[in-house]
Formats: sequence, structure tokens, C-alpha cells
Amino acid sequence: MYEFRFHGRGGQGGRMAAEALALAAFLEGKYAVSFPFFGAERRGAPVRAFTRIDDKKIRTKTQIYEPDAVIVLDESLLETEDVLEGLKDDGVIIINTQRKPEEIELSREVRCATVDATSIALDVLGKAITNTAILGAIAKATGEVGIDSIEKAIIEKFGARLGKEAGEKNAKAARVAYESTVVGKSKGGKQFEPKPQWLPTVDELPLGGSIGTMETYAGLVGIGSFIENKTGGWRVFMPVVNDDKCIGCKICWFYCPEAAIKMVDKGAKTKKAVINYDYCKGCGICANECPTKAISMEREVKA
Amino acid sequence: MPDKGHKYGEGGESMIQKLEAKKMVITGDHAAAYAALLADVEVVAAYPITPQTLIVEDFATFVDDGITDAEFIMVESEHSAMSAVIGSEAAGARSFTATSSQGLALMHEMLPIASGLHLPIVMPVVNRTVAAPIGIWCEYNDMMPQRDTGWMQMYSEDNQEVLDMVIMGYKIAENHDVLLPIMMGLDAFILSHTVEPVEAPSSDEVADFLPPYKPIAVLDPDNPMAIGTFTPPEYIQELRYQTHRCMKNARKVIYDVTKEFASKFGRNYHGLIEEYETDDAEVILITMGTVTGTARDVVDAYRKQGKKVGLIKLRFFRPFPAEELRKALQNAEVIGVFDRAVSYGVGGPAWIDVKSALYGFDKPVLNFLAGIGGRDIVRGDVEKMFDIMLDAKNGKAKKEIVWINTRGVEE
Repeated sequence: MYEFRFHGRGGQGGRMAAEALALAAFLEGKYAVSFPFFGAERRGAPVRAFTRIDDKKIRTKTQIYEPDAVIVLDESLLETEDVLEGLKDDGVIIINTQRKPEEIELSREVRCATVDATSIALDVLGKAITNTAILGAIAKATGEVGIDSIEKAIIEKFGARLGKEAGEKNAKAARVAYESTVVGKSKGGKQFEPKPQWLPTVDELPLGGSIGTMETYAGLVGIGSFIENKTGGWRVFMPVVNDDKCIGCKICWFYCPEAAIKMVDKGAKTKKAVINYDYCKGCGICANECPTKAISMEREVKA
Repeated sequence: MPDKGHKYGEGGESMIQKLEAKKMVITGDHAAAYAALLADVEVVAAYPITPQTLIVEDFATFVDDGITDAEFIMVESEHSAMSAVIGSEAAGARSFTATSSQGLALMHEMLPIASGLHLPIVMPVVNRTVAAPIGIWCEYNDMMPQRDTGWMQMYSEDNQEVLDMVIMGYKIAENHDVLLPIMMGLDAFILSHTVEPVEAPSSDEVADFLPPYKPIAVLDPDNPMAIGTFTPPEYIQELRYQTHRCMKNARKVIYDVTKEFASKFGRNYHGLIEEYETDDAEVILITMGTVTGTARDVVDAYRKQGKKVGLIKLRFFRPFPAEELRKALQNAEVIGVFDRAVSYGVGGPAWIDVKSALYGFDKPVLNFLAGIGGRDIVRGDVEKMFDIMLDAKNGKAKKEIVWINTRGVEE
């Protein structure tokens, strides 16, 4: 049995990639299962999806804790969590990044494959949707499924949803990624601050789970705990306000689902929209709603 | 209503296009929707709720794509969904709905009406936590409280079983010795949103296995009939006995249908329970739903170590397989029952019924509560259940009811 864990953000299509991978293995006559981890996530939140491949029927229905391969669709996740957690010693990590494997610093030195899936997707599809391109890199780095099956699976799965032409374009993105994937070794030694999870016993947990703001060994929980839990790191694209075009109409302020926009008096005739990047998740609703096109979404380059 | 279809239960043209047999990699929700399509249902009324939503969406897509001419009724709640399929089923149309958790709770008022009128509705229920607190993950506390509504209920292990059971469900429910509705549980996310290979028979094969629905009482303006009317005590007790008898009859029908299904499609579900490695087993764990698959792997591993363990998959909870369990468990020394729900202050609902069925057996019947609220049941959890049972065999039973992996509670 070979097990894969996908790390991405809600809306990036990690689940579709994990399912297409299962389909590719199935097309090769193998048995395959794929499932997402469903939390209370939204677009932009870190999410995981899983795939299991075996030669015989897979009966076990548990989640995956010790994968053979880890796939990272969003490079920013490398900073926020130890994506290698549980990865087998002889496992491999596949990362969507412009960097080379030896430039990637992880918690330990592991077999590492990198591919610039975002640029490939922008180039081939015209959109920064990387979930098909990354499948090509998986074929190259693991050898568990062939690139031909990956292409067939993408055409079948994405074609059914988006139309034949889009299916073929996505298959091409996977092929281009397959050919440009670099396999090497990562650097190790990156330290992660242990993030304890609050796991109270029956007696420590308030009756019915009703809590106000509570100080625990894992930090604040309950009302107001987002003071510590900043969600700005979820962004792929960031909104940038052009003050010359902003007319202070407050439409963005009204539509922002995170209340991450403030109207600030900057001495002009009207107040100007100011984004709180600590909490803005980069959903782009503000840019979409702005009547004067004063907000643009720009790709955020993270170190 | 569409032109095609069975006018007031008189039989008629099929609602669906010809579908070839195929193997797909699909979710449990899709398997349920596709099975309803294959079963040639005429009416679907459903209200979306996570994690059942994909069933409704998929079936709506089949209608939109013209694969079926079935009537898709948009409703404003689950109460209305059940009311609508009660109406359509009473008009003689094979009907389908699906729900989950709070949706099933909202339907509760209508459930005994479906069974009391002997309407063989088939309804997948994606087993999800009931509030409060709100959770969307797997738990059986939604379906277990519907135990006494007169509905048959069963739980599936994998997506293949989901698809097969919807087809078999109609054949069992529509049998004139039964004529009761059936709800079939599938574990939230573990099946509903997990893709795995599923074999789907062709529409011709299904039509051959599942003949058109022949209702016994039909709402037909040309032949007026009163159903479910005001009924005084002089009659209701006998009517309740009828339903009781139908549920008992269902046991034999379930065996016959699973047997016929096995001979036609090659997949044998063995009736109400399935035994796995029980022949010489000293300890036997009774499982339900998806934990069965994980437990099969544990049984195989323990067998290799020479431990005589086995499992019984409790497929049907209503009708309850009391006699089957007494027979299958007569040589076991310790019995364990897995539950993914709680009857507060007592224990797991399956355990309560198993204990009652085994009254007079002088051997420990332990209860393992696990996976509550959707907590992942890992292999180690199942191993722990077997280890506790093996300890109990050596006279070291500490507790009758064990909350597996629950912080602050001794196991």
C-alpha cells in the first residue's frame, strides 16, 4: 500500500487532485481510495486530502498518519506547519515552488521534488489553479502512477466537469509539470515551534462545551481567540488599494466577510479603504465589488 | 408529472435511458444517487444537508442531463421532502429521498406515517452528529433514535454496498410480505465523500432483478380510497401488529433478496449479518458501518499471531437479527459490541439490543463506544477492543462499557 497526503488551501483543488490520482491508479488496474479531511474550512484555509493505492482491495477506513508521499500545493504552508509530520523515512515530498529542492528548508533532509506548478498553470491554463499540474510532478517523483494514466484521469475527471477542451489543457499542464519536475534532496534542520492542541479531559471541558474566552496551555480558545490566530497567512493573492481611485463608498467595507477593511481618514475629501493584512484571507470579493476598480489582486510573493 | 412512468402503479415505460454496466471511482453519495437512477425511481424529493448534499446534487444533474425523466421536487425542508415522497409513493410511484442528522430529526414526525401506510420508500441517511454541539462528522446518534418508527435500517461498510443496497432496498421494501420503508446509513465523509472503485450493473440487469413497484393501495382519483384516516382504538392495535409482523417477515425476505442478488451480480452480503473468521473464534467483535473494514484487517493480523478472534458485521439493525446472533455467538467466550452512538446513562444502542438478544448466555458482553462525533477510529483503537476482550476471556474484565480513547475516562 502506498499513501499520499495533500496539503493545500480551500479552493485550490487539493481534493480533486487526490481523487484524480486515485482514478489514475484505478485506470492502471489498481485499487485506490481518496478522501478529504473535512474541517470547518473555507476558501483559503489549510486543508488536507488523502489517497491510498494498493494492488488489492483496501478495507481499512482510517485516516492516513504515516504517508509515503506528501504533496504541498501552497508553498506558504511550509512556513506554518511541519508538513513532514509522519512522513516515512524513505518518503518523498513534492512541492509547488519556483525554488530547487536543495533550496527548500524542512524539518529534516528528505527526498524532495519541486515544480513551478503555479507558473505552469498560469501559462497553460491562464489560471493559478495548480491541482492538475502537480499530478505530473507526483508521477515523476513517486513512479506509483504513470504520466499517461494521469493524463487520462485528468481528461476523464476534469473534462466531465469543465468540458473536453479544459480537460485536455489540464492534462497538458500535468505533462509539462512532469517534464520540468526536479528531484533532489531538501535541506533539513528547520525548527518549528511546537503548537500544542488543547485536549481537555471530560472534567476539564466546560459543561456542554460552552466557553467564553479561556486561557489554556495551547493559548486562547473560544470568543476572541482570533487575536492570536491570524488568518492573513492563508492568502495567495493580496488586495491592494489605489487611494487615487478610492472614492470612500464603503462597498468593500460592507462586503468583506472578515471585517478586515477599515475606512481611514487620510486627510482627503473621503475616507480611504485600508486592508488589515493580519486577517485578510485574499478572497478577492472587495476587488470584485469595487465600483471604481480601486482594488487590485496581486500575487503575494512569500519568502 | 412526466408523461412516462407508471400511472397509479399500473406499470409503464422506464424513466431512464439505457445505462451500460461500468466500473467507476465514486463517492458513497454518488453511489447512492446512481443506484436510485438504476432503480428507475419516478419521484425524488430531497432537501440538501451536509454531507448528504452530493446525493441530491447528483440526482438533480441526472434529471437536468435528461438521463432520467423522474420528477425532482424542490422542497423547503426535510419535513416536506418526506411528506412529498409519502404522497408520490402513495400514488404508486417508486420514490427516493436522502438526508442526514438534523434533517432526519426534522423528518421524524413523518417517518411513522410512511411505515404506517406501508409505503416502501428508500432513503439513504448519511450518518452525522446531531446537535448540540454542531458537528458534521460521523455518528449514529441521528439514525438510532428512529429505531421504533417502523422503518427498516441497515448500515453500509463501503460504497459498493451503498449502491447495491439501494437496489436491494427497493426489492426488499416492495415485497408484499414487507411493504415497509427502509433507511440505509452511510458514514459521513468516510463513505459519503470518499471515492473508491464501485461496480455498477447495467440498467437492463437491474430491471431484470427489480420489477416495477406494485402497490397494494393507490391514491387514484378514478378509484377513490381513504388512507391514514382517523382510527379509533378498536382497530389500531391490530394495525400495529400488522406492522410488527411485516418487520418480522422482512428477515426472510432480506435473506432471499441478498441470495438472489449474489447469484445475479456475484456480490454476497449474507443477509442480516456477515460473519468473518468466526468459526473457531473465542472472542467476537460486533461491528457496524465502516469500522468493519478496519476491523477485518485487525482480525487477519491477530489470526496470524494465533489469536482466535473474529467479527460479525451487523448489517441490519431493524429488523434485528436476534436469532442469527444467538446462533453465531453460541461458541464465543467473550462478545464485544461496537457502538457509534449513546443511549445516555445506559450504553450503546446496538449493545443494548445484542444483550437483550443474548439473554441467558452466561458470558461477558462488552460495549465499546468509539468514533463518537466523527473521531477517527484508528487501527490501534480496534486492537484495543480485541485486547480488552482477550483479557476478559482470562477473567480480567474491568468494565462492561468501555469508552475508547476518551480523555479523562478509564478504559
